[in-house]
Amino acid sequence: MSHPVTPRLGDGFGLFIDRNKPVSFRFDGKTFTGLDGDVITSALAGVGTTMISRSFKYHRPRGLLSLAGHDANSIVKVGKEPNVFADLTPISEGLDVHSVNTAGSLNNDRMAILDLFGRFLPVGFYYRSFFKPGKAWKFWEPLIRRMAGLGVIDPDTPHGYFDKAYGFYDVVVVGGGHGGMNAAIEAARDGASVLIIEEAPLLGGALNYMRLDADGTQGMAICRELLSEIESSANIEIMTNTTATGLFTDGWVAAVRGNRLYKIRAGAVVVAAGAVEQPAVFRNNDRPGIMLASAASRLMRLYGVTPGSNGIILTANDDGYGLALDCLDAGVAVTAILDLRTSPPDTPMRLKAKSAHITIHDAAGIAKALGKCRVNGVVISNIDEDGAWTTVGKTLPCDFVAMAVGYTPNGALIWQGGGWFNYDSDAAYHMVSSLPTGVHAAGMVNGVFEPGLCAADGRRAGASAGAGNPSTVERLDDSSLGRVNHPYPVFSHPKAKDFVDFDEDLQTKDLINGLSQGYRDVQLLKRFSTLGMGPSQGRHSNVNAIRLIARIEGKAEDEVGATTTRPPYRTEKMGVLAGRSFEPIRRTAMHHRHIEAGAQMMPAGAWMRPAYYGPKENAKALIAEEVMGCRGNLGLIDVSTLGGLDVRGPDAAELVNRMYTWAYANQDVGRGRYLLMTEEAGVVIDDGVACRFADDHFYLTATTSGVDGVYRQMLLWNAQWRLNVDITNVTGAYAGVNIAGPNARKALAKVCDDVDISADGFPYMGVRQGTVAGIPARLLRVGFVGELGYEIHVPAHHGEALWDALMQAGAEFSIRPFGVEAQRVMRLEKGHIIIGQDTDGLTTPFEADMGWAVAKKKPFYIGKRSVDIQNASPAHRRLIGFRLTDKSAPCPEECHLVMDGETITGRVTSAVRSPSLDEVVGLAYVPVAIAEAGGTFTIKLGDGQRVEAQVSPIPFYDPDNKRQEL
Amino acid sequence: MPFTLIKNGLKNNASDIVDFPRQPDLKSSYDVIIVGAGGHGCAAAYYLARDWGIKNVCVIDKGYLGGGNTARNTAIIRSNYLTAEGVAFYKESMDLFKELDRELDINLMYSERGHLTLAHNDASIRTSRWRAEVNKQLGVDSELLYTDDVARVCPQLNVSQDVRYPILGALYHPPGAIARHDAVAWGYARDAIRMGAEVHQKTPVTDVIVEGGRVKGIQTDKGPVYADKVLQAVAGSSSLLAGMAGLELPIRTIPLQACVSQPYKPILDTIIVSGSLHIYVSQSSRGEFVMGGSTDPYPLYSTRSTLDFKEGLMSHMLELFPFLSEARIMRQWAGMADMSPDFSPIMGLTPIENYYIDAGWGTWGFKATPVSGKRMAECVATNKQPALLEPFRLSRFDNFTLTAEKGAASVGH
Amino acid sequence: MKIMPCPLNGPRNISEFVCGGDVKEMPNPESCSDLEWANYVFIHKNPAGVVDEWWCHTPTAYWFVARRNTVTEEILETFTAQQYFGASQGEPA
Repeated sequence: MSHPVTPRLGDGFGLFIDRNKPVSFRFDGKTFTGLDGDVITSALAGVGTTMISRSFKYHRPRGLLSLAGHDANSIVKVGKEPNVFADLTPISEGLDVHSVNTAGSLNNDRMAILDLFGRFLPVGFYYRSFFKPGKAWKFWEPLIRRMAGLGVIDPDTPHGYFDKAYGFYDVVVVGGGHGGMNAAIEAARDGASVLIIEEAPLLGGALNYMRLDADGTQGMAICRELLSEIESSANIEIMTNTTATGLFTDGWVAAVRGNRLYKIRAGAVVVAAGAVEQPAVFRNNDRPGIMLASAASRLMRLYGVTPGSNGIILTANDDGYGLALDCLDAGVAVTAILDLRTSPPDTPMRLKAKSAHITIHDAAGIAKALGKCRVNGVVISNIDEDGAWTTVGKTLPCDFVAMAVGYTPNGALIWQGGGWFNYDSDAAYHMVSSLPTGVHAAGMVNGVFEPGLCAADGRRAGASAGAGNPSTVERLDDSSLGRVNHPYPVFSHPKAKDFVDFDEDLQTKDLINGLSQGYRDVQLLKRFSTLGMGPSQGRHSNVNAIRLIARIEGKAEDEVGATTTRPPYRTEKMGVLAGRSFEPIRRTAMHHRHIEAGAQMMPAGAWMRPAYYGPKENAKALIAEEVMGCRGNLGLIDVSTLGGLDVRGPDAAELVNRMYTWAYANQDVGRGRYLLMTEEAGVVIDDGVACRFADDHFYLTATTSGVDGVYRQMLLWNAQWRLNVDITNVTGAYAGVNIAGPNARKALAKVCDDVDISADGFPYMGVRQGTVAGIPARLLRVGFVGELGYEIHVPAHHGEALWDALMQAGAEFSIRPFGVEAQRVMRLEKGHIIIGQDTDGLTTPFEADMGWAVAKKKPFYIGKRSVDIQNASPAHRRLIGFRLTDKSAPCPEECHLVMDGETITGRVTSAVRSPSLDEVVGLAYVPVAIAEAGGTFTIKLGDGQRVEAQVSPIPFYDPDNKRQEL
Repeated sequence: MPFTLIKNGLKNNASDIVDFPRQPDLKSSYDVIIVGAGGHGCAAAYYLARDWGIKNVCVIDKGYLGGGNTARNTAIIRSNYLTAEGVAFYKESMDLFKELDRELDINLMYSERGHLTLAHNDASIRTSRWRAEVNKQLGVDSELLYTDDVARVCPQLNVSQDVRYPILGALYHPPGAIARHDAVAWGYARDAIRMGAEVHQKTPVTDVIVEGGRVKGIQTDKGPVYADKVLQAVAGSSSLLAGMAGLELPIRTIPLQACVSQPYKPILDTIIVSGSLHIYVSQSSRGEFVMGGSTDPYPLYSTRSTLDFKEGLMSHMLELFPFLSEARIMRQWAGMADMSPDFSPIMGLTPIENYYIDAGWGTWGFKATPVSGKRMAECVATNKQPALLEPFRLSRFDNFTLTAEKGAASVGH
Repeated sequence: MKIMPCPLNGPRNISEFVCGGDVKEMPNPESCSDLEWANYVFIHKNPAGVVDEWWCHTPTAYWFVARRNTVTEEILETFTAQQYFGASQGEPA
């Protein structure tokens, strides 16, 4: 059932709404009708719903406060989206809105009883309780944890669509109000490209809702004029409904519209974000119906909704009178204006209010508000010359209270960018005292309120930004400022609830107690009391808190300092920040052949490689079959992911010689040589094979995950050495296979006729260039798996053709593709190490028993001196091969521990039950004292069982290496 | 309702409690000066008084109490390290932590949540197994879990194997905990002050006075302050203070950023870490998701925030928890981390006589607050390197005897 | 996001670059003491102020030297290796 549309205010009101487009939405299960253009808060106000939420700690009723998203009162859940600011969220047909943080319902919240126990829950109470005696905390913690948080996250929430866009402008103006529009116009005048970012649906800012003059016509008139000027400018772009949430180094602006994050590079930024109206602090100042004057104005002017039927306006400036006149225009009764000032100036608006017979009490404030779920009256207090509360006056009925006691600059972006504000006691306002590079401030954020001056300040900042001038702290002097902000709108009541921070339910006494307990630094007090830590991040609470601290501590506000303002200005959805998450995968040229063959793919760095071929449930048997296929006949593995670096030039050998541990200067052309690389501290970081195809051309292989780092290191070192070489990372340019097994030569012979592949013509560790299946190829006779084998590297786009040709050539030898798992088994049977598995972040070449690959006489290689230093002292551990003495004992897993009694003395780095040898073989770090062949040691398995192992010479399989040298 | 609350409530309020009385003027000399009023410095002051009777101690800081990395970390406590010496050290810390609320009479909200270090590839599975085996042998509760068991411990995790970085397993450390980080510094400072120490905030140290290879005191904007012994515990600024004393350190200062979501009703109980995705996350007692990632890509003495940090982190957050895409980030911040070459702290004696160092805390200092306070106090009091700190001595870099924690370097929180 | 003015590629987002650490002079590995070498490997000046560092533009694998303020994050100047070290061919020792 849909409620009828409550009539809205007429002409001059409701700028954002379309009266002809009703929109129905639900709140806590009931259906209501608002209008297109409404935000949730205005639509609820439009149907007379005052209470929106329950407060965080005491579960007190809360309603519309700022209508600008500067308080947690307006937090609701929308559909599955928790913690939505109702002030900022437009309604749409069928929108399903729920209140949050209630036990039961909004009107009947069982947790509201906490309000009565306030005295037992003083500031920081949880630090002093719940943990004694003994394990009390274990009992209390789950109960307390349940009370944390506001909205409920539904674990079934689908991942929405989010994306990102980029923008580039000479000038970005944040805030399309009076100052911002003027700034944009001026910045664009000489051709700069300008973007205005405005949070509201229309430009205009406060001009759209704030009364500037007694007649109430000036604001809209100014706005119309500025809009037409902006429209006539070719180089001003406008983004409305967009929030600039962050300003980072070098003019990097984050802006959010809907589910899209805009990352905008700005040559200069003008922050013209206006000012945030601040509440007064008095007893029960949180009752629904008590709101900022600007909220009441917004409600009427933007949405055509009245804040109530009879209001009390608490003011300390002309805005309260402006609101009173607005109320008159709207037909809303004003019970009284309470002016905190003893002798307020008779401004035109005040005079008009007087002549309209609105009751005005000067030197008056509010002692307390009455009512519970909605304010229904206030008790007036009398204020002395110093602004202090003296006596209690009479009670006045009302159904709303508007507070117009001053502002604070909306300067989050300036703080974020590294700028600073200092509190000016005369103006009772934070004034910009330093600006980040390239950032200008204009208008109210810059302490310029008077409309004419505000416009001129915008023009000044815009001109400066448009001209690319360095940012300077400048403002047009606005003498009216002292009449805008009340220096101390805090009327605390020691026994009752007077809220400084609505988000966190913090009262004046909480801050006073925090101070008296010794948390005197504003940052410490924040941390102790949670001041400003709620969803609105102190935007309605920090200034009053600073004033309060200053009073109590007897300091100037500026000495109190400020807590740090951090990004984001408004909360950002995780999805908006994440966007479409691009995580590229690299696939080899033969990828589809592997998939067709049923391969189980596994990641190797950014690459995907076949682990083995066939169904997962047969993994073990399949891997063994692949091993035996290769050992007995012929196997084929895709090695495209291995790194490849081409080093060419007269100094090629010199570079390789300096980068790697072994000697390469005299390496023969047509030969390959093992490569081992250490970093500067002497730790092993990569290995591969150096193929010398010409005096001035080396082709270096590197590990899949290591190649990019190796390449980068080579370039870094050569940037210093400037040897005459050219280094190219050709990893992606080549696809590669290893065809291995006793029949490898026979199979290769069928597709390769321009290379002498005979045992003598192309011996083990030889390298050749030729063609395979008509494809230009680099051939490497290497033996990682320990069989006669050829690595064949071809331009990547020929990879699939090469694979097909070799599969075909090998068909008569029952060629079987094998994956990474089988290769790991075979290399382990041969005792070859894998960098990163059999080495760790401290392994030196000698610890890895790779001393043979270190040239002792070479004057230099990266890490040499470090290796030498470490090698000079006794080593503690060595990587050795082992067999289990009991052949039937279970196979240890990688990283099972080597034990001496109960002392950990090493670890297994690789182990496998060898299909070729039918026993468990592996590699392990053991103490040097037992590292000689024949020594035995104990391995502790994961289940605690211990098995005995014997140090064994490697290779385990084909110890004389005859098979690979066939 | 606990008795303390009722008692305090009936006393009308807690205003007769004073945790931090106003401090007297800075004296011209003390027995010991501790530079740095973070958790570590305050803990050292506390244990100097409690264990060694050294109470004429000044803790001095350029900022506010606990306002450096103590205030900026993500409050994770664990002891599932890779090496025997690492485990022994952090286990002592955890044991101290468990009793600390009653000892310091402050609720630290120490909360055992269980800690999962996710493994997305073979190498991480291997490292997880290594840590689990070392931990089990040394009496620390850790085990390697595979995907299904990971899902049982934390049902909120997306364990689908059809994602870019599927979860293959995890190192599970049931005692992994979080605590209210600020309160740790406050508790130590309060009790240190009660035993006689002074804590001077907002007092920058401008120089370290060293004569003939021995420290004599410090220089401040309020004049020189002399002491027999000086301990530096200024993570993030370690190189700068050490530089004043004439020491060069194997440390680079690199920002570490973090962020929190808005407060939501608790849904994630476990602490989740993923080295491959560079992420760690827990949901705090306030209901906020507290999230961090890897350190910034280059050194900086600044706590500025970046957008790219948040973008990268959230991208990976949603890989693990796709249902959080509508949840909102409320605040981001940064601390400055002392990164050492072997991912281990630098603690104990220095080449300067009577000058002690507690530095190199990288991204893992909070969890070590009690043990480093206790053992640095021992070091200062005895002028000897305590056995537990032997692996972490500054001189290890002179002879390449780095700690083996470097072996399993990943996101280590 | 910070902008790095790359001598080869012009101003680019700093996320395209990696920092390669301080430019430091290597002591002669054949004649220096063990301690000098260890200090070279492990010690960082880590100044709060101006530092000269190696930076690499990763998409083009181009290394250059950037002079940077580590407090303000300002990049003061960038140099090609040739500009920075002069024209002569460097030697490892």
